[in-house]
Amino acid sequence: MEPVLVAQALNAVFGIASLAIVALGLAVVLGLLGVLNLAHGELVMIGAYCAYVAQVNGWPYLSAVPLAIAVCGTLGYAVERWLVRPLYQRPFDTLVVTWGLSLLLRKCAEAMFGLGYKNLREPIAGTVEVLGATYPRFRLVLIAVSVVVLGALFLWYGQSRTGRRIRATVSNPDLARALGVPVTRYASATFVVGTCLAGLGGVLIAPLVPVQPFMGFDHILMSFFVLVVGGLGSVGGLVTGSAVIGGANSVVSALSDSTGGYFFVLALAILFLWLRPRGIHGRG
Amino acid sequence: MGAADPPAMEVTARRARGVPTAARAGIGVAALLLLPFAVGDFWAYQLGLLYLYAIAALGIGLCWGRAGFLPLGQGLFFGLAAYLSGSALIAFDQSWWLLVLIPLAACASGLLAFVIGILVFRRRGESGPYFSMITLALSLLAFQVANNWESVTGGFNGLKGIPGLPGLDSYTAAYYVAAVALIGATLGTGWLYRAPLGVLWAALAHNERRAAMFGFDTNRLKAVAFGASGLLAGLGGALYAPQQGLVTPQLCGFGLSADLVIWAAVGGRGRLLGPVLGAILIGALTSGLRDRFQFWEIGIAILFIVVVLLVPEGLVGVFVPLERWWGRRAHRAPALPAPERLTATRAARLEIADVVVQLGEVRILDRLSLAFEQPGVYCVIGPNGAGKTSTFNMLTGELPAQAGRVAFDGHAIERLQTHRIMRLGIGRKFQIPSVFAQLAIADNIAIALWSGRARRAELLRPRLRRWSSVALDELQARHPFLADVERTAAQLSHGERQTLELAMALLGEPRLLLLDEPCAGLSPLETAAAIELIGWASRRPGATIIVIEHDMSLVRKLADHVFVLHNGALVAEGSVAAIQANAAVQAIYVGAEK
Repeated sequence: MEPVLVAQALNAVFGIASLAIVALGLAVVLGLLGVLNLAHGELVMIGAYCAYVAQVNGWPYLSAVPLAIAVCGTLGYAVERWLVRPLYQRPFDTLVVTWGLSLLLRKCAEAMFGLGYKNLREPIAGTVEVLGATYPRFRLVLIAVSVVVLGALFLWYGQSRTGRRIRATVSNPDLARALGVPVTRYASATFVVGTCLAGLGGVLIAPLVPVQPFMGFDHILMSFFVLVVGGLGSVGGLVTGSAVIGGANSVVSALSDSTGGYFFVLALAILFLWLRPRGIHGRG
Repeated sequence: MGAADPPAMEVTARRARGVPTAARAGIGVAALLLLPFAVGDFWAYQLGLLYLYAIAALGIGLCWGRAGFLPLGQGLFFGLAAYLSGSALIAFDQSWWLLVLIPLAACASGLLAFVIGILVFRRRGESGPYFSMITLALSLLAFQVANNWESVTGGFNGLKGIPGLPGLDSYTAAYYVAAVALIGATLGTGWLYRAPLGVLWAALAHNERRAAMFGFDTNRLKAVAFGASGLLAGLGGALYAPQQGLVTPQLCGFGLSADLVIWAAVGGRGRLLGPVLGAILIGALTSGLRDRFQFWEIGIAILFIVVVLLVPEGLVGVFVPLERWWGRRAHRAPALPAPERLTATRAARLEIADVVVQLGEVRILDRLSLAFEQPGVYCVIGPNGAGKTSTFNMLTGELPAQAGRVAFDGHAIERLQTHRIMRLGIGRKFQIPSVFAQLAIADNIAIALWSGRARRAELLRPRLRRWSSVALDELQARHPFLADVERTAAQLSHGERQTLELAMALLGEPRLLLLDEPCAGLSPLETAAAIELIGWASRRPGATIIVIEHDMSLVRKLADHVFVLHNGALVAEGSVAAIQANAAVQAIYVGAEK
């Protein structure tokens, strides 16, 4: 195969993987709890700042992973406990409250790190030869991690007893509670998993994007569009959505400019809202 | 419930306060006009700007507090109008053209918002969060366009050197322009809140399905609300350009959009003056204190979260007890006779032929055919899961039919949207009583009276809230609680709510009335009253009533004709006696084998 084609293919896979890993946390929380967490983008930002803190202090890059999980997990627990839990009966207000939270986190990041862009070094430098094409090693690692995380979640959710109980909780919380499923604890755990995944996504993409307090917007919007197109509730939908959104964005951006790509993705999302409101892979 | 209660709404037109509204409004207007003499030039200038923001915040209150959806990118409309008006001011400096062009700039924003509303609200149901996300995305897109399109917008540095309005170029004049615009916008929005349109917005915010069942195009109504909010933001933006002399991309972006939402929430989104109060108060505090306290903006974000969680009524909520003390008495404006229904009044003919409804593996309706040719009371019976309620849902356009035809007066209706079907002269009562709980009983009744009677333009006339009809007098005589002007529908008992919904379904005077277990959960006494009411309704000439009922003793009292459904198909039809003698029907109910 032509090296150019291999590089293009790898780029496409990388685009899908990075979108999917960032959207995953949002998908978990929206799909399982029905909460659209508008602070998701800011949790990705926090993950990225964790990577920045690790790098500035000279810690190994991998140390950013437990750091991000600790920070985002704690934050996720507190947010679920005190902000989201009182509002499960008022889904619209969870949207408003998490929107306020996104504002708060952004302002906090601004106060701690300033408005400026931070650029991180890639922790795994250099390139590898793949089928004749040279490709950055870090990007391959990102693809691999995304595949592993998505696959693990897919298997665990489909096979395990806990996965089955969460599915029961989702389809009928009252009945699940009556059968002794600790619904409240599962909801809390699910939210925390979602925020930790957002943090992990932030750590992974930090070296590839400018890290700054406003970076969350792009990620929440793109993640949301991925879910609109792909539909909730399946890993297949997440990957398809990432492929459609990522592909459309890069093709139209290359043909016109980034504004054109953004506009096209937005139009695509509205179109899906009319024609397939549950997305390509949506159930029912 | 306490903190969990949604914000109270001012939708009681039949009330007047001790001090006339006009006098209180006069005090407010005088205060706004005299303020610059009290606070000096610097603050007059600051306040002038905040008034423009307050106009846009009014629009947030209209969408969020009234119609129940939250726009997160209102800066788009503010910014668009500011760029348009700024460009016009530069191109036609001091020309009289500006008197036309600046209002047009505001209208362009309103039109854009309306079109976006039409596009996004096309599908019913899950538009809440989707709508918010799309408006957020649009405002970020607008920021990018304004930032990159240098030849038109001046790029990052914006449009500079915009001249003031002709003849109104001083700081004081700019203040008065903003103050007059704010007064006008507040009066206009207040008018909308008092008009049927505002009542319908409040109604669909909490029970969109019910509003659609009265024949109102809820998607269109929401788009109109969003258009009005866009017009308000546009008015603020169009006056911003001459006042500030500079328009930058930041206006379109996230910052202003977020501030508007915060101000509306903190001030109190549920009431007319809440967003205005929030914008002026929080805005003034911010410009005075931002530089003195390092964490001011973090504090504002926390304040916002606290307000959403614990004090949904916002700052104006503080004034509610004060208002009561100020004096509030209920009184009744003279009633106006409601006109006749706009559609034909002849007897309805309904034909359902070979209809199939399938959801996944389950066939809910299986080649169902029913015909209703004559006026009268038809009962539909059948065991649980027979497809009775699904038949109603299919008729009213909520369950799409995969095959078959439904004809009303000979016209196919199986592909029409719910509100169009209902507008033909169909009314429906749900099994679990569905009323507009947050609204006063009088407003619930008024909405039922507007159904099928009010023309589109009439929805702007507050006097429609005084409509009454012969049927209403009759119903109020039978059930005096229907004339209660103090209570909201949420304060009614289950039985009263059943009665209210039944009364609302009757008041629209539909030719075809669908009643889904109208006596479910009623006491024997209430059941007798409901049966009597249905009998009364069926005596109106030409009325066709279809009742889903389980209780055979009620069926015996009501039915002229009975249909028996089983597994989504018709098993038998005929008089009550014939049905009771039918072996197939007995087999279904007793479970006997043939």
